[in-house]
Amino acid sequence: MSARDDILAAVQKGLTQGQGGAVQRRNPDAIRAEAAQLLANLDEIRPDLAAGDPVDAFVAKCANPALGVTLDRVANWQALPRAVIAYLDQHDLPHRLSVSGDPRLDALTGIEAHQPCAPDEAAAISVADWGVAETGSVVIHSAPDQPILNAMLPRHWLVVVEEKKILPFLDDYATYAASRPRNAVLITGSSGTTDIEGFFVRGAHGPGFVHVLLVAG
Amino acid sequence: MTKPRVGLFVTCLVDAMRPQIGWATLRLLERAGCNVEVPRAQTCCGQPAGNSGDKRGAEKLARQVIEAFEGYDYLVGPSGSCVGQIRSYPTLFSDQGWRSRAEGLSRKSFEILGFLNDVMGWKPEGVRLDATATYHDSCSGLRELGVQEQPRALLEGVEGLQMRPLDGANVCCGFGGTFCVKYPEISTAIVSEKAANIVDTGADLLLAGDLGCLMNMAGRLHREGAATRCFHTAEVLAGMADGPAIGEEG
Amino acid sequence: MGASAFTQRAHDALADPNLKTAIDRTTGTAETKRAAAVGAFPEFQAARARGAAIKDHVIANLDHYLVEFERNAQAAGAHVHWARDKAEAAEIVTRICKDADAKLVTRAKSMLGEEIGLPHALDDAGIERVETDLAEHIIQLAHERPSHIIWPAMHRTREDVATLFFKDHHPPPDADDPASMVASARRILREKFMSADVGISGANFLIADTGATCTVTNEGNAELSTTPPRVHIVTAGIEKLVPSTDHAMALLRLLVRSATGGEVTQYTTFHSGPKRPGDADGPEEMHIVLVDNGRSRMVGDEFRQMLRCIRCGACMNHCVVYRQIGGHAYGGTYPGPMGAVLTPVLDGLAQSRDLPHACTMNGRCEEVCPVQIPLKTLLKAWRVRSWDSQQEVGPLRMGLGLWGFAARRPRLYHFGTRLALPVMRLFGKGGWIRRMPFAGGWTDTRDLPKPAARSFMSQHANHGNEGPK
Repeated sequence: MSARDDILAAVQKGLTQGQGGAVQRRNPDAIRAEAAQLLANLDEIRPDLAAGDPVDAFVAKCANPALGVTLDRVANWQALPRAVIAYLDQHDLPHRLSVSGDPRLDALTGIEAHQPCAPDEAAAISVADWGVAETGSVVIHSAPDQPILNAMLPRHWLVVVEEKKILPFLDDYATYAASRPRNAVLITGSSGTTDIEGFFVRGAHGPGFVHVLLVAG
Repeated sequence: MTKPRVGLFVTCLVDAMRPQIGWATLRLLERAGCNVEVPRAQTCCGQPAGNSGDKRGAEKLARQVIEAFEGYDYLVGPSGSCVGQIRSYPTLFSDQGWRSRAEGLSRKSFEILGFLNDVMGWKPEGVRLDATATYHDSCSGLRELGVQEQPRALLEGVEGLQMRPLDGANVCCGFGGTFCVKYPEISTAIVSEKAANIVDTGADLLLAGDLGCLMNMAGRLHREGAATRCFHTAEVLAGMADGPAIGEEG
Repeated sequence: MGASAFTQRAHDALADPNLKTAIDRTTGTAETKRAAAVGAFPEFQAARARGAAIKDHVIANLDHYLVEFERNAQAAGAHVHWARDKAEAAEIVTRICKDADAKLVTRAKSMLGEEIGLPHALDDAGIERVETDLAEHIIQLAHERPSHIIWPAMHRTREDVATLFFKDHHPPPDADDPASMVASARRILREKFMSADVGISGANFLIADTGATCTVTNEGNAELSTTPPRVHIVTAGIEKLVPSTDHAMALLRLLVRSATGGEVTQYTTFHSGPKRPGDADGPEEMHIVLVDNGRSRMVGDEFRQMLRCIRCGACMNHCVVYRQIGGHAYGGTYPGPMGAVLTPVLDGLAQSRDLPHACTMNGRCEEVCPVQIPLKTLLKAWRVRSWDSQQEVGPLRMGLGLWGFAARRPRLYHFGTRLALPVMRLFGKGGWIRRMPFAGGWTDTRDLPKPAARSFMSQHANHGNEGPK
């Protein structure tokens, strides 16, 4: 028998002839129904949002120093270039960015844009597919115009999130995982490690600085 | 209302090492309005066997305790650990008859401090002890029986007694029954940390609800030359803490 | 009776003051942060119960979910492999590496990888292996095994790490503070990420209805290990399944708070198959190795509930024994309370019988367990197996036998107590016994209170409830 057959047979044997007695075997529909039941009344098993409105809650979460992110509220896409340049100037960075390829970033006037992200890139910019208010996370799905490395390699990662893409809870994002991109990444704050004596150090492998540009219009 | 009939489960450690805790428990039960009896057919709850994996040995002792105590309204003992073992008797039996008898006893078995506070609604009156004390939560009482607030509430009623918080009060002292002699080095390392925390409180007295833990902590404190005196909480509540503490010559 | 290997390792660990300092620094922080995170999550107890129910549901339908996961992972373009034991698992992984003509492999920390002996297998196969988790990087430089499942290098102080990095990093770190050392590791590992042929990760969850694998990290090394190389390999235990991404989210809230005290890790990644046509980056091949290694047997025995474990490490952070002796003394892949249950499954009870016994049964581990595993009950189940298979020998078995014999005969017992107490008192000086035959386990380091002259039962027999005057 193959390893697959052996393992499945052993699991079935354990379930039907195990010490605890036979577990009731059910058809897939009954299993699915029970699985769905385990997600009933989600409010009983998840925290409240930091604020009533998901956008306010997202902003409040990003203000938590433990996340190590900064956030700038931007009126609309037209105002984005100015906000990006302000950030770069604030950190004494050249007006040069690795850009994800999202067409909405084509209009970044005054910025020298390039692809792909270099291993020692100073700064890069991506557009998040969603934000999650519960945790202050942003979500990216790998795609032709969404390189994962653009979010991982730079020292400073700038990420644009549209207010209308802020979802309340992690569970609300889960629905979108069904589109099954090669890689879906929920990013919550800057990269960090506590591996040396529990000390938190930013920028372990990923970006040490994450700057969220929250676009309203 | 008729007085509840309580079978006092002395515990083997109290029986041999510090009978005064047994008398303190008996007095407290009487003051709380119980008729107390001490069944002769009691020895040990079977915990040493049960914790060593000797399930049959534990089961045999469980039968003895069930037979001796199931006729009472309550079984009460001065140890969260022994009462915890008695509460777990149902898991020892596959036989349905014995299992339901075990369940019957399990439901009416209590550790003394929880019993006084939760079942009898008793409070100390006119008990005085001019001292500072700190309290260690013995693990079985704390986690198996939920004894945490009760001793603190009862001790609040002792006049003149000032309680000081113990850092890591809910952390094990390293006794663990046979563990402390099977792995003495690890046990010693654990109890040494506990002793340091106790000394840091600056309290005159260390109180707890289980003699095993108390002997472990008292034994280490004394070996280190600390002056902390150790009593079972029941002794304090019964007004019997004016005499020798654990390890002091009577 | 000679000291067991475990006792010897524990002795060595206790003799190392550096180790205690290192453990205290990290577990202390972990305990405080977890308490704060749980305190800020009033739904925690309800979430724990639900988490346990989700895992129980998965285990009760494990065959169904394995097949569903395999179907969906294959539909996403991943190759799914099955391994009965660790040798088979390590062999599958090295074969994939060889087929890919891999010279350099990056690995993102996975305890399952340790369990199946993957570091060793890759080294033996002559493939350059680079551990990318910072702690695993430290371990690799020190030629050691992890001592904790969340902080594998917990046993190393910052001074130790500095020594290792100054020796092995070219160029060396700018300074010996944690930030400079992290920066140095970032510099060193960055080149490796970009030039690796194969990246290997573990999985915190396997999502049945999408066929995705989920990994959580704080450093971002999982994304960097799995995106640039040509081939991505995932190794995962078969108990890691969850029905859907939603279920994973419910467990994620428990996992992260219990592990590090965060609400969610910095990176929560779902991997599903290889690079899609037109994708900007990603590997050309994805392989998933589903590993049994004793788990299917646990489905049918008294250790089934252990399959709930989501590997948060809270049990060891709150264990008085772990905090004294650290992880290496346990001698297996997994230390602490969860390791004391799992190691006998993986390595056999004969090799590890000390582990379930070296526990005070204080229950703090199961109090903090985010999926309500009854660790005390499971550790006791190992003690029963050990007793029943005659592995408990010598004085303890004899002593307990004698004790039991007397304890079941109350008259004999009370008579014996009456005789024994005066004898014991002979060893006393003042109120204490400092030394007594057969009691060295106690009296070597603790004084023993002198027993009473007469037992309670004897006093009560004479005086009734009145008591002695």
